[in-house]
Amino acid sequence: MAKRKRAALLPTNIALLQNLVRRDPPSYKEEFLLQYQHYESIRDIYMNSPQTENSEEFGDLVGFVAQVASCYPKETANFPDELSKLILDHHQHLDEDLREKLIQSMVLLKNKGVITPEKLIATLFPILLITGSKQLRTQIYSNIVTIVKGANTGSKAQKLNKSVQALLFNVLSTGESSGLWATKLTRELWRRGIWDDSRTVEIMAQATLHGEAKIAISGVRFFLGADKEREEANAEDSDSDASAEIGALKHRLQINKNSRKRGRKAESAMNKLLKKRKGNGGVSATYLNFSALHLLRDPQGFADQLFTNLCKYRYDLEQKIQIMNLVSRMIGTHKLTVLGIYSHFLKYLTPKQKDVTQIMAAAAQASHDLVPPDAITPMIRKIADEFVSDGVSAEVCSAGINTIREILARNPLAIEAPLLQDLTAYKGSKAKAVVMAARSLVSLYREVAPEMLARKDRGKEASMAMSADAKAGTSSRLQYGIEKGQTGIEGLELLAKWKADQVQEEDDEKAWEVDSDSDDDSDDSESGWINIEDDKEYNISDSEDEEELDDEAKAAKAQAAADAAAEAQNIMATKILTPADFAKLEELKAQAGFDKLMGKKLTNEDEVDARGLIGPVKYKQLREERIAQAQEGREGREKFGSRKGKRDAPHSTTNREKARKKNFMMTIHKKDVQGKAKRSLIEKKRLLRAHIDKQKKKGF
Amino acid sequence: MSSKITVAGVRGNVQKLLEQSETKKRNFLETVELQIGLKNYDSQRDKRFSGTIKLPKVPRPNMTICVFGDALDVDRAKSVGVDAMSVEDLKKLNKNKKLIKKLAKKYNAFIASEALIKQVPRLLGPQLSKAGKFPTPVSHNEDLHTKVNDVRSTVKFQLKKVLCMAVAVGHVEMTEDELTTQIMMAANFLVSLLKKHWQNIGSLVIKSTMGPPFRLY
Repeated sequence: MAKRKRAALLPTNIALLQNLVRRDPPSYKEEFLLQYQHYESIRDIYMNSPQTENSEEFGDLVGFVAQVASCYPKETANFPDELSKLILDHHQHLDEDLREKLIQSMVLLKNKGVITPEKLIATLFPILLITGSKQLRTQIYSNIVTIVKGANTGSKAQKLNKSVQALLFNVLSTGESSGLWATKLTRELWRRGIWDDSRTVEIMAQATLHGEAKIAISGVRFFLGADKEREEANAEDSDSDASAEIGALKHRLQINKNSRKRGRKAESAMNKLLKKRKGNGGVSATYLNFSALHLLRDPQGFADQLFTNLCKYRYDLEQKIQIMNLVSRMIGTHKLTVLGIYSHFLKYLTPKQKDVTQIMAAAAQASHDLVPPDAITPMIRKIADEFVSDGVSAEVCSAGINTIREILARNPLAIEAPLLQDLTAYKGSKAKAVVMAARSLVSLYREVAPEMLARKDRGKEASMAMSADAKAGTSSRLQYGIEKGQTGIEGLELLAKWKADQVQEEDDEKAWEVDSDSDDDSDDSESGWINIEDDKEYNISDSEDEEELDDEAKAAKAQAAADAAAEAQNIMATKILTPADFAKLEELKAQAGFDKLMGKKLTNEDEVDARGLIGPVKYKQLREERIAQAQEGREGREKFGSRKGKRDAPHSTTNREKARKKNFMMTIHKKDVQGKAKRSLIEKKRLLRAHIDKQKKKGF
Repeated sequence: MSSKITVAGVRGNVQKLLEQSETKKRNFLETVELQIGLKNYDSQRDKRFSGTIKLPKVPRPNMTICVFGDALDVDRAKSVGVDAMSVEDLKKLNKNKKLIKKLAKKYNAFIASEALIKQVPRLLGPQLSKAGKFPTPVSHNEDLHTKVNDVRSTVKFQLKKVLCMAVAVGHVEMTEDELTTQIMMAANFLVSLLKKHWQNIGSLVIKSTMGPPFRLY
């Protein structure tokens, strides 16, 4: 009885039918088919005139069919296609709610495995590009991101990624402004670390070379900032993950029965988590996050094209600066040759130019050691002429010198000695920022090419090295075309010598057992002591002996140096250096002051900070700032002045206070008061004298 | 694999490698290559490294070299028996991309005389440095023969877009001692370049061109 009642209800009660169908598909097939026919008829109406009313009923029907489509795959074979056709053709005219419902149903179908994610994206993506409704766009955008993200959890879904990327490529190659969505989507997926391959980067490269300024700039922004964004997103994720896990652990510890074993377990788990967080954020050993700049397939072609675009298209200044920044980063990181850019910079390098520091930073980034020096020299000369003179303000001057230093750190040959010496002469300037800039230039050249500096600027170490070179007949002169970079193991002679001194055979097994957290001082307390034995005779040389030995010593010294080098070579060839060896090497290098050698560092990949170029300039403060600063200093201190007559503890009225407050009429007839007026001239003089003396004695 | 690498182990592997190449002779001189897999390397925080080292023996004697030189250097190159090109030859390329690419492909390395090297980027454009074959300078008072040998025996370590790399360290005609020495020098140098030294090394493998690989570490 009850059953029949329910069955009678079915044609109208879709929710109930859905429930029943899912429990037992075969027996409710007829009811389903009834509903499906109903759906088909309404669908045909919609296909013809999408603005039909009563969309709610249709929406419910579609939702129902989507829910149970997996139960009747044969009957509903066309259903997904129909849905996508409906959305694609009529999305402008359809009712908002109905549209949302349709998209939800498509997503549902994907989740149930009826349609592939590729197909879903192929349906949704075109709508994203052409629709005028903001709500629809946001819905589709977030849907696409979640679809790609979901497909890429665990292992990467190469097929889906490829098809989506091909879609994005197509959008960008059409040359319309809708390409902005491609960049937006790519950027989002890159930020989340879902896409991190070179194909992704290629999409953005194509966007960057796009004719439309907006798209091009979004591409440029991606290359300049995407890595930082990704890192931040990563850090947030891992932080929240770890803290959530720790919270859960603590909670469990409170609820479950406390036993000693469980406590120990929880503690060790906690330690593990903390360690993981401290380490590289729990990423696997082979995880490699190359920045987008490194992943480009054809950096030279890209930079060339971007530079021609920069000259060809109209951009406003801000956009131009961003593009210049990107081109220069490319040139720096990949050591490209785009010779036109240096003369392009010349136009902008004047102190009056807006945002000139950013252009200067770009100019510095664009130089590296494979650029022919004569391409860079005009730029340096222009900066020196325009920025560095006595007539300009301190920050202009320091910005000029700092920029020149940054350029020369990358390509030290791009300046002639006279100009360099002119610039270093600014170390006697009055402005602190200028002095610091000039000094940094001096210290750079002390390491790179001391012979170009004025004699007094060279410093002790550099001059000594120079004279040693001159004696030996070798020249460490800079030469164009020799790439910077290490050519041997630095300080290995030291290790060789130390090893020779070391008498006892070192334990080979032990030397390899250096784990990462043994950062404590490796030398134990004993090694700080030198054991002096009484019965041994110690050779303390007199000065006379030394004079005799002078010539021999020199020869011996040269011999020893050659020996050390040979020994180093020998060690490298015959022994495998153990972690312990490397630790010792670091120590020895630190003792010998090796780390100061700056010229060997690779600087070409660094970003130049535009704000840092100006240096520490102190501006005159405004009145408000001065007052604020003074107030800050006064906070929490008492007023200055005498403490005399101020008693701290609460007290009763003193006699002095009483005397002061006494009614005048009561004192007017007193001798003290009346007498003052009646004093004779001599008496007045005497009293004054006495007062003066008293004051003097007091020290006033 | 084992958590450490010993001289004896390297020697043993070299022996095996030489044996293998002996059993199946090829029609050409097989090169021995050191392949390196890195680990725990954060390419954003740790700088990408690059370094060159001169090995005691020439790892690839058949390496082709071309000299860009002024008149004197061209003559010297001919006497040493190395191909040479003068400025005029370079200008004849006329910045033609295809020709320059062809040139870059034809030779393994380039040497340029000091006077000329500054013009190389202007004459040849980016193609050479793109191929990683930017010429090495040579001055008139250096001996060209030793320079050529220097260039031939220098190997370069540079990380590209992947966490693995390979360098040629020798060939199968070398004796066991020589090969061991070469391998150890290369390995030591590489390890010294890395920030965390051995902790950055995932694997070390030696392999001759057609032979099977032997894992050292």
